Amino acid sequence: MTKYIVRRLLGIIPTLLVIITLSFFIVRVAPGGPFDTEKALPEVVKRNIEAKYHLDEPLVMQYGRYMFDVLRGDLGPSFRYKDWDVNFYIFQSLPNSIILGVIAISIAILFGITSGMLAAVKQNTWVDYLSMALAVVGISVPLFVIGPVLQYIFAMQLQWVPTSGWFTAGDSWKTIILPAITLAFADFATIARLTRSSMLDTLRSDYIRTAKAKGMRTSLIIFKHAMKGSMLPVVSYLGPAFAGIITGSVVVETVFRIPGLGKFFVQSSFNRDYTLIVGVVIVYSVILVFMNFIVDIIYSMLDPRITYK
Amino acid sequence: MKREQKAKATNEFNQVVMGNSLSKDAWRRLRKNKMAVISVVIVAIYMLLAITAPILPIYSYDEIVNEHQNLLPSLTKTSGELMWDKKLSDLYTQAWRQNRLTVTDAENEILEAWVLKGQATKVWDYLLEEGNRQLAEGSFEWSAAEKRTLDNLEKKIASDIQITIQKVWQTNQETGKKINISKMAVKDLVQLYADLLGVPTEPIVTQYTYEITESVSKEIQAEVTDLSKEEYALMAEQRLSDMSGKDYDKLIKANIIAKINSTVKDMALYELKSDASQASTTYPFDKEMSITDTVSASIKAAKMHDRRYYLGTDRLGRDLMSRIIYGSQVSIAIGLIGTFTSVLIGVILGSLAGYIGGKVDYFIMRVVDIMYGLPYMLLVIIAMAIFGRNILNLFFALAIISWLTISRMVRGQIMSLKNQEFIEAARSMGASTGRIIFKHLVPNSLSVIIVFSTLRIPSFIMTESFLSFLGLGVQAPFASWGSLVGDAVGGMTLYPWRLFFPAIVMTIFLFAMNFLGDGLRDAFDPQSKNQL
Repeated sequence: MTKYIVRRLLGIIPTLLVIITLSFFIVRVAPGGPFDTEKALPEVVKRNIEAKYHLDEPLVMQYGRYMFDVLRGDLGPSFRYKDWDVNFYIFQSLPNSIILGVIAISIAILFGITSGMLAAVKQNTWVDYLSMALAVVGISVPLFVIGPVLQYIFAMQLQWVPTSGWFTAGDSWKTIILPAITLAFADFATIARLTRSSMLDTLRSDYIRTAKAKGMRTSLIIFKHAMKGSMLPVVSYLGPAFAGIITGSVVVETVFRIPGLGKFFVQSSFNRDYTLIVGVVIVYSVILVFMNFIVDIIYSMLDPRITYK
Repeated sequence: MKREQKAKATNEFNQVVMGNSLSKDAWRRLRKNKMAVISVVIVAIYMLLAITAPILPIYSYDEIVNEHQNLLPSLTKTSGELMWDKKLSDLYTQAWRQNRLTVTDAENEILEAWVLKGQATKVWDYLLEEGNRQLAEGSFEWSAAEKRTLDNLEKKIASDIQITIQKVWQTNQETGKKINISKMAVKDLVQLYADLLGVPTEPIVTQYTYEITESVSKEIQAEVTDLSKEEYALMAEQRLSDMSGKDYDKLIKANIIAKINSTVKDMALYELKSDASQASTTYPFDKEMSITDTVSASIKAAKMHDRRYYLGTDRLGRDLMSRIIYGSQVSIAIGLIGTFTSVLIGVILGSLAGYIGGKVDYFIMRVVDIMYGLPYMLLVIIAMAIFGRNILNLFFALAIISWLTISRMVRGQIMSLKNQEFIEAARSMGASTGRIIFKHLVPNSLSVIIVFSTLRIPSFIMTESFLSFLGLGVQAPFASWGSLVGDAVGGMTLYPWRLFFPAIVMTIFLFAMNFLGDGLRDAFDPQSKNQL
């Protein structure tokens, strides 16, 4: 087991290197620099700025310097917002994104598993149809449609929650409800469908029949025996689910004007703030890669059939 | 050579036995699935609308009418009537604010509450009704200034004419032959334009030379940044002198024809306006008009404010319905072409990996693994933001990342098929690797590929829309479902229809595609029922 974990950890390194390298070079070969303003800068000023940020060095040197800095945890200065460095921006906005993401994924898992299990246990009743209808909506309707529509109905027409704002900025805690639901919807749908189908499979298997024949209570069968077996597909879906939450948060943060990392990311891509873009992508990737790692470990613990060779 | 008719197979009771292929079987199962059939119909309707969009009787998707901004969707009212209502409710609201339009205290309270909640549309609607009632009763009157505004608006609505020039001809005075100006030589065109304006040709030549240089230099500026003004001018000159005489003439021609068209348009408009005061023309019409003695044009003209917008207009006064239809064209095209490309890449790489195995397999699958670990949407966002936001880039960015899953699936399928007897038979007869893969293995995993592709299309459309929503995908004046929704989000409180119509249209299509995909999967692989 330890060997497996170590090997998986080592496997993360090339992925991260590829990500950093790729985003670094995509950004550098791009036409147009961060200092392209409406007014052309005098040649001397421009050269000075470029020297300050080491943009006048050969690309390989810049790359090496950047790699070295990143390994020390320093993501460099922001090209656009003078006097601040990327770390500062990330530390300021990342907590907001993490809060939103954690709440959303918890909602998705909790409600997804519950409604999927209910649908499977009460197959072909209205419970089943309702939860599967919701799941179809979640899979078919993109979240940038769900977000504004929820906002229109619940914030603007019914006025149950504020239209925008963020609770860490002093607004009411209710501001988190709509963004979290929006972000959770797609993953909720997939998890519900996965849980339902794998639960149906499990309920038909022999060991459940044995448990029933022994006269075990239904609730005990479901929670103690069936649930464990039917969670495997759900756990393996969690990796893509985290990726979905991260990309989804870009839209949700834009729609609900949340000061999170996703909003920053879109802004900095428009501004061509090289270091900030690469910094955000690196942070996202580290989160994603480690989440995938954890999911893999959980998966291998749940399924004793997996060998660690 | 015609093949001989197949001998009919008979069983031991001499009954004819019909063969049943996999696809036939699947089709039979699909037809039984009601949702899938409905979905097929819906998808077909969408495709038909998207393909026939250029010949449908709808307005152009990029035609901006400034007076028609944010008009309500209406099945019965013309845009003129809607403009009129809008102006009235504006004026009534103003009058209510100035306490000239008096309402009861209870009503006032409700109105104030709406204002506080930011529900301006309700206030406008209410005051429009109330004001019209009071005006009819005589308890409210317009001020002189307001009356003038309304009179002007009425006149404007009655008289504004919209003209499109389709063709312009010059009649040769000696032969009496009509020549389309797009077929004329540059020299004659310049002469014609000078005659139209009544000026000598020299200033026209100077002007178009200047304009063409400007536009070329702008083109260069879009391609290369970081240059000084002088360098741009130099590069533009260089490019123009590099150009062949024919290409340069083309530029001049386009420039002059555009100018002639706009001049002809102005002149025709002037004539029609003086006509309109005598009300001798009926609109809309499509006919030939002579502009001067030698120049004539085929002209389409309509009353500007007789236009009807069944789904309303957007913030620039463009018809939302035609924008949605053209947007469907873009979205569906990207969905189909993108899926096709990614499936093609995925099938080729996946089958190579699966069939050849060994180092090739290892290499391809490691690439897939690493790419799976990437937050690829973020990389696409960066790529779109940096390399320019056009449809081609969008499409490439999406196709490059979306072949991963299909290649894994095809690899799995092929690995399970490649040790079967029929492959061995093909190999023993000396079939080449390519032949075995594309003649035997791929057709046998086609059902999986078809099902996956169908389910892939909606997710492709979603991704494209996602980027367009953020402003990184399709750029104005083009539209896609995502960019329409994205444009609408800002003005959602006041103009909710701008959000809802594209959202509904998009959702219905995505629903249909998902149901169709599910139906196809159940049809091709009945055992997988209830699986995701």
